[in-house]
Amino acid sequence: MAESLERLHNRILSDARLKAAGIVEQAEEKSKQILEESRAQVQRDANDILSRASLEAENIRRSVLSSRIRANRLRILEEKNKIVQSVLKSVEQRLSDIARTDKFESTLKRLVLEAVEAVGTDNAVVKIGFRNAEKKSLQSLGQSLPKGTKLLADETAIDELGGVIASDPEGKMSFNNSFKARIERLDNQLLTTISSTIFGE
Amino acid sequence: MSGIEAVRKIVETEGQAKRIVEDAKLMAEEILARASEEAQKFRHTSTAEAEQRKVQMLRATREKAEADARSSDVETDSLLENYKKLFEDRKDVAAKKAVELVLGG
Repeated sequence: MAESLERLHNRILSDARLKAAGIVEQAEEKSKQILEESRAQVQRDANDILSRASLEAENIRRSVLSSRIRANRLRILEEKNKIVQSVLKSVEQRLSDIARTDKFESTLKRLVLEAVEAVGTDNAVVKIGFRNAEKKSLQSLGQSLPKGTKLLADETAIDELGGVIASDPEGKMSFNNSFKARIERLDNQLLTTISSTIFGE
Repeated sequence: MSGIEAVRKIVETEGQAKRIVEDAKLMAEEILARASEEAQKFRHTSTAEAEQRKVQMLRATREKAEADARSSDVETDSLLENYKKLFEDRKDVAAKKAVELVLGG
């Protein structure tokens, strides 16, 4: 009786210890799983943070560089424009002083003939106005013009820089051959010529 | 041993067995709590490290970009200086060519 009771006692305790060991073992397994999952998740989160940081870094780089490069391109364009405008000013100055040069008569003749031809009438009226122009220059011009052409000398320079304007007798059709008008017509060519001469482009 | 004593002994043994299992459950709870705590700590550390690396990366990128931008400024300054020299050297030739173009001669 005592012996079988002792066996029962031992059996009950042995079962309990086995069950306890199982509970602990299961907890350890679960603990291991929690840590592994946590590490994997943390690694994913870290990768995500760094990947977003890479994109943010690229945006910062682009933003800093592009704004500076844009500003520098603008500085270059402004300087080039300033230089070209300065040359154009000098061109205008030279043109407005043309009456003082030995090129005046030939230039005047060319401007007038071009204008008369553009108007295309036998009785063209040509208004001429240059700064510091002498009357004798105009008189010598008269002989080389088509018959019927009427010359009108203006005291002031036409369109500020000087030039000629031809029209038909009724004034319905006219052709402005002032230096200002020629500069406007040749705008692109002038800019290209000046730019390529100065900058070699 | 009397029957009563035998029953008492078995009841005591059952109580002992129950305590063994309860102790094991407590231990299991502690193990899981420690694991959660460790996971939490690890998460904090790793996230902080990643954030720190991010800050360093962004700072390094900005410094490098600023340096590149300064280099662009220097190149531009040099180019503008060169333009001024070219202008001084060639302005008369350019004006002469432009005047000829306008005169059409």
